[in-house]
Amino acid sequence: MDNPVETIGIASARIARLAAIRMMLCAVAPAVTAIGLGLFLEPIGDVTWTRFGYLLAPDRAAVLSLALIGGGMVVLVAGLVVSFRAYRHANDFVAAAAELDDLLDCDQEIVTFATLANPSAPESSRARRTPLFPVLWRHAIASFAGLDVRREFRLEVGEPLKRSSIFAGVVAIAMVLATLGLVRAPTPENTEAAKLRAIAEEIARSSTSSDDTALAAKIRQAADALENSKLPPEEKKKRIEEAMRQADKAAEKRNNSQSGKNQGTGKSNAQNGKGSGKSQSQGNSAGAGSGQSNSGTGAGQKLGGNNPGSGKSSNGNNSGKNEGAKGSAKNDKNDQNKGDRSNIELRNELAKAEAQVEAANAKNPGPDNKPGDAKNQGGADKPGDNPGESGNQPDPNRPGNIPKPGAKSARNVPAAGGNPKNDKDMGSNLGDTHLGEMPTSTNAQRFLKPGEKGAAPDIKDARYVMFRLPGEPSSGSGGKTVLDIDRPTATTVYVNAPLAPTSDNAPPDERQLVPPRYRDMIR
Amino acid sequence: MGAAPQQASPDQRVADFRKIFSRAETEVARVIVGHREVVRKMLTALFCGGHILIEGVPGLGKTLMVKAASETLGLSFKRIQFTPDLMPSDIIGTQVLTESDGHREFQFKHGPIFAHMVLGDEINRATPKTQSAVLEAMEEHQVTVFGTTYVLDPPYIVLATQNPIELEGTYPLPEAQMDRFIFKVVMGSPKPDELREILNRTTGTAHSRIQPLFEPSRAPQAIEEHKALVREVMVAEPLERYIISVIGGCTPGGPGAIPEVSQYLRFGPSPRGAQALILCAKVNALLAGRVSVSYDDIDDAIVPCLRHRLLLNFQAEAESVSSESILEQVIKRLKKPRT
Repeated sequence: MDNPVETIGIASARIARLAAIRMMLCAVAPAVTAIGLGLFLEPIGDVTWTRFGYLLAPDRAAVLSLALIGGGMVVLVAGLVVSFRAYRHANDFVAAAAELDDLLDCDQEIVTFATLANPSAPESSRARRTPLFPVLWRHAIASFAGLDVRREFRLEVGEPLKRSSIFAGVVAIAMVLATLGLVRAPTPENTEAAKLRAIAEEIARSSTSSDDTALAAKIRQAADALENSKLPPEEKKKRIEEAMRQADKAAEKRNNSQSGKNQGTGKSNAQNGKGSGKSQSQGNSAGAGSGQSNSGTGAGQKLGGNNPGSGKSSNGNNSGKNEGAKGSAKNDKNDQNKGDRSNIELRNELAKAEAQVEAANAKNPGPDNKPGDAKNQGGADKPGDNPGESGNQPDPNRPGNIPKPGAKSARNVPAAGGNPKNDKDMGSNLGDTHLGEMPTSTNAQRFLKPGEKGAAPDIKDARYVMFRLPGEPSSGSGGKTVLDIDRPTATTVYVNAPLAPTSDNAPPDERQLVPPRYRDMIR
Repeated sequence: MGAAPQQASPDQRVADFRKIFSRAETEVARVIVGHREVVRKMLTALFCGGHILIEGVPGLGKTLMVKAASETLGLSFKRIQFTPDLMPSDIIGTQVLTESDGHREFQFKHGPIFAHMVLGDEINRATPKTQSAVLEAMEEHQVTVFGTTYVLDPPYIVLATQNPIELEGTYPLPEAQMDRFIFKVVMGSPKPDELREILNRTTGTAHSRIQPLFEPSRAPQAIEEHKALVREVMVAEPLERYIISVIGGCTPGGPGAIPEVSQYLRFGPSPRGAQALILCAKVNALLAGRVSVSYDDIDDAIVPCLRHRLLLNFQAEAESVSSESILEQVIKRLKKPRT
């Protein structure tokens, strides 16, 4: 190239571009790291803190993720700005000449030439020229002979990437420190919400209809609400109940489709469902029975099996389905049982979640959440108000929902010689626990002592077992107390004081849940 | 003989300068053994239009060197031996009453200062009054006697020598006068080989003949044209900033002054020092075949241009810190601006 001014100009532009790229490279790695960490925070959490039993609250995780993504974007934008500034700074004619001077070892001839031929200041440059300037021009041309600017000024990414990786490491360390500060041991609500989310995930994965998808969404909403400490308990319960209703709806649809296959047995089972409806409404007069008219399902139906009443299930499909399953094909039965189990689990978890909300609300009663407050009363239909509709799942944790000892106890006591068929959990989707249906003391059955003969207590369908240690045996009037020598004696002195009666307002954690798989053992 | 520089092309002018300079060095080297750096600095000072202070013990050939240079360049030469009783009129000249055609009139008798090359031998032996008589001549290239100003013909260069050993009965040059010398060069003792060569040349029968580079009538103009060429050499802005930073770095309390400067110096160089740096660097650039100054050209000029412009304080003298060592530290530590 004959014009050294053009050569210097080209070199200046290339140096400026390289400077901008290098600067951008410095910013890219930390930005990508931050954005990547922000985007994949959940999978990272799955393999790190979640694996070790810690929990990053979703709202905190969202904030951290947002902060990381935002930080990454800021770094990216800052990188762009700095790159632009580096471009402008490096796009200097004289500076490029200095680079070329060093490169070609020209003893500042190129710099001098550039200062005297600077296109950005032509007048002042020209004024400083002397009659020797042509010599300088020729020297510059001679120096630039064979010069390839692209070859001489190459993009070297090693150093920028090295620097960039340091910044990326800083970002990663900052993320780790932030996470360490934010992770907590999971609370019962977190655990429950996680379970609900897992169920929702499973449902969403195996969803075959829009109802399942809607159910999964509802469950997720309920889980989110459960963890959200800012939401009032009423709102949390509302979400949970919505999830329950959606579960009922989905189960009902599934049963409907199943009942078509089992029409032959549907009739008799409809009666079961019919009877159960009433029991629910009676036993839970103050329960949270805001159920839909066509969803007379759940615990109420099942309990009702012990108390043949005049309750009416609008469709009786659940029982019909259960019975019908016996007569259906084996595969259908398995699928149905699987679905029921899932539904049972879901309902159990939802019930537990609701109980936790209640418990939390009881611990921190707000002005609007006093026990016995009308707001905390379940919206169940009063007996006789709407006998044609069965109530929704009762809420045993709400004050007032728990049956009082002695109050309407007869309705809760399984009648002697009652329908034993209904005592069994025959694969119903009503759940294996019925919070709130606490057996009363009058319904207590005594376990046999070792060696004692007699009828075993029939607690197979019990949802709760309340243990009460017997008091000191009284000899009665004129009787004689005989020491039982075979009785094992304690090595230390102790007082076998009778336990205080369990409070009806006791949180559900203190109530013993008896899962079905342990019932036979107890029996 | 050199070509007519003004009519020649720039490249030719540069080539002529290098040729003249090189030949002058060679011709002086015919009679002066060694001291090539002193000879180079003397010629550099001549083409810069400055004066040079040579410091060295007697008997090193200072007078011979200057005489040889004047013969080589075809310039007139005068020598002044400074003594304590030397009067200014002895240097500048005086009015002498003369009689011609029956009329008596004062006629100015030119002193030895009227020459192209003036050697002021042992200038520190003269009184300050006499020393100051040289000031106007050195700076203004003119002298004034009884209200009449006499211009000194260019080129004009004063080469002053001083003996660093004998300080008794001497009058050290004041800073104002020291500042007027573009260089201060130190003439060291010759090396054994050089001394043997000196003995061979001066104690035998052979005499070296110097070939003048210019005809005596053309020499002053040729020298002036080469001096103009020196001033045409270009300096980039970054290099000008570097020179400024050097001056600032050597000034106590100045911008970028290194700790040693503040510790050992009372005063730093004046703007004349910066001028001397640039001119000397330009000559260095031309000698390297360039028409623009480089950092090396400047660095090469720093010590001879600035060493006599630094005024050391008592601590420096007590610790035997020389101005040269301070300047070397300045060169090492100063950063060369790129743009």
